[in-house]
Amino acid sequence: MKVLIVDKNKCTGCHQCELWCGTEIASESKELYRAIHEEPHPVPRVYVEGKNFALQCRHCEEAPCIEACPNGTMRRDPETGLVYVYEPTCIACWMCVMACPFGIINPSPSVKVAVKCDRCRNMGFPICAEVCPTQALRLEDRKDYRKKAF
Amino acid sequence: MEFIQKKTVDSTVERFLAKAAEREVSLAWDRYEGQLPECGFCETGLSCRDCLQGPCISHPFRDSNKLGVCGKDKDVLAIQTLLRLVLKGTMVYLNQLSDLVEGVQSGEVKPKNKGKTDQILKEVQSLLSDGGIQIKKELPKAFIRSWEETGILPEGVARDLFKASQKLEGGVTDVEETLLWAFKSSLFGWMASRLQRDLKRSVFGEYPPAKIEVNLGVLRKESPNLLLYGYFSPILKRKIAEEAKKKNIHVAGVCTDPFIPPFSFPQVTSYGSQEIPLMTGAVDLIIAGDQFVNPSLADIAKEWEVPIVSAEILKKEQDIDRFARQIVESAKKSFDFRQNIPRDIPETKEYAVMGFSHENVDAKKVVTALSKGKIKGIVILSGSNNVKYTQDQELLTMAQEFLKNDILCISNGGASVTLAKYGLLNPAWREKNCSKPLADLLSSLGKEIPSILDFGEGGMLDFLLNVAKSGKKELKDCPIVACFPEANRTSEVTEAMWTVAIGIPTYFWPSLPVTGSVKAMEALTKFCFEKFGSKLNVITEKKIDARTKANMVLKSLRGEEGFDMSGKPWK
Repeated sequence: MKVLIVDKNKCTGCHQCELWCGTEIASESKELYRAIHEEPHPVPRVYVEGKNFALQCRHCEEAPCIEACPNGTMRRDPETGLVYVYEPTCIACWMCVMACPFGIINPSPSVKVAVKCDRCRNMGFPICAEVCPTQALRLEDRKDYRKKAF
Repeated sequence: MEFIQKKTVDSTVERFLAKAAEREVSLAWDRYEGQLPECGFCETGLSCRDCLQGPCISHPFRDSNKLGVCGKDKDVLAIQTLLRLVLKGTMVYLNQLSDLVEGVQSGEVKPKNKGKTDQILKEVQSLLSDGGIQIKKELPKAFIRSWEETGILPEGVARDLFKASQKLEGGVTDVEETLLWAFKSSLFGWMASRLQRDLKRSVFGEYPPAKIEVNLGVLRKESPNLLLYGYFSPILKRKIAEEAKKKNIHVAGVCTDPFIPPFSFPQVTSYGSQEIPLMTGAVDLIIAGDQFVNPSLADIAKEWEVPIVSAEILKKEQDIDRFARQIVESAKKSFDFRQNIPRDIPETKEYAVMGFSHENVDAKKVVTALSKGKIKGIVILSGSNNVKYTQDQELLTMAQEFLKNDILCISNGGASVTLAKYGLLNPAWREKNCSKPLADLLSSLGKEIPSILDFGEGGMLDFLLNVAKSGKKELKDCPIVACFPEANRTSEVTEAMWTVAIGIPTYFWPSLPVTGSVKAMEALTKFCFEKFGSKLNVITEKKIDARTKANMVLKSLRGEEGFDMSGKPWK
């Protein structure tokens, strides 16, 4: 399964990933000049933590958010293995928000759903990795550490 | 990131793009793709690097970094981005003026009209110290009054430039005040450019519009080609042309003034494709100024073994004669050295009549045509090229639309060279390009009048002031609109600002970096309309094609609903 590797040595904390995730995914108008004036603010699904770590959903193999979700809104796509929010059934109980060990699920300010990175399921390539100027965010195969020879 | 768009509509340039890809020569288009996506914060004006507590941004989506460290909010950040560009643009015009003044005062050239030259030199001093006393007497009283009221009457370098630049350093201010400081600097730039034009004419002599050649076909196969790039001292250019004539060396220019009497320089290409002439192999020496010159020329020139000389270095040759002779010698040597390099010169060449001025275009005839409804308005086409658009396409398509719709078009600078490449400055194609009423007006203005009038480096606004005076109207009530379809330099931003300050609504593409703040955009529209009767339109829709843009401008001229403009119908 492909995962987004975050390389803290290359991240400069420029916030471009946040800006473009907010514009392309979270906003209504999908255009930079409009998105920045939208009310309420679009919420980007990637968070630049500290000085140099752009964090988004890790799509955990054993996802606490899926366990915590009471009605199966948080689900895993069988083909790609990605975890996503099925918005029509979300009851805004925020159990997933509390359960996530990385803290990357957040309540949406406008609609009563939880928002979380879905690795740009409906696009060709994750937008944060595409715009990152230093390639700190890269799409690579998840290394299976269990298979590493001693 | 990929950026798939047709690079240029100039087929001569297109032919070299494949060659460049083969030889792995990096052109402006390749470098642009590598830069994408460009920083969203800087594009919308929401960033600031004026001090070392930054760089700061105003994040539109997060609450933690909405204000800069010093407290600048998004409105101030956006309008200061504009102010920074305008200040730099004003310095372009002041630099040009001071170069010419230095050249004249050094005594290297004998002025044709000594009395007038001395008068203008005194006026330059007055401009720098108190904003030009004589100029203020010459301009229409309405402007002086309105500028005094808003507080933007130019008062000299100290009050106009130094104080305006201090706005970037801090201080408690608001969006409108900062915008007015930007207008103040731009007006100072306008006066400098007018003085430069007057000084040039009084030193080198008046010259009527003349025919020159444009496009890559002007390069000669059998003689050395010396190219002048960008702006540098006209005195030096004239000396080079004199020396080159003696040695039979062909001098042409890119992004440079086509006329320095008695010489004229054919224009090889426009700004966006300035790296292409090197690829023909026919260029033997380039002498480059600073403004409008891409630093990438150095690398590309190495590929074709072309020496590049910079005209603006710290320890430059003080003796202009010797410098010119050295340059021409190097060109000859380079030509001998480069005998074995294959030449690939396309045969495309077009003729253009350039160099009109307010003294040789009859404003009264234009006014008559306007009041009889024969022509519907006047559009100024300005700017150069921007890699974000298909080169030349916006300018060309918009010009063609305007000409078909009875609009008199005037142009200057890089836009003229672009339009010239497609025959829009060639009198022979006038009947084909223009609608009948427009063609009639143009043919009545003189013998060899092209579809679009090129006003060189100045005189355009003076011509429009004459039109307003003949029609007994204020400039802001005339159906005139300015259009910068493919602008990119700071000098063009400054030009747009002063065009708005004298009452002509302006359309500027790509959108200025103020879009991050609603207040800044309103200041450019509503506030400007209140103060000057015209707006600086910032169009944020990205994917509109050139014809739609032309229709926007046409609607604005006709005064249709939804487009607030100052071009009310002539009657």
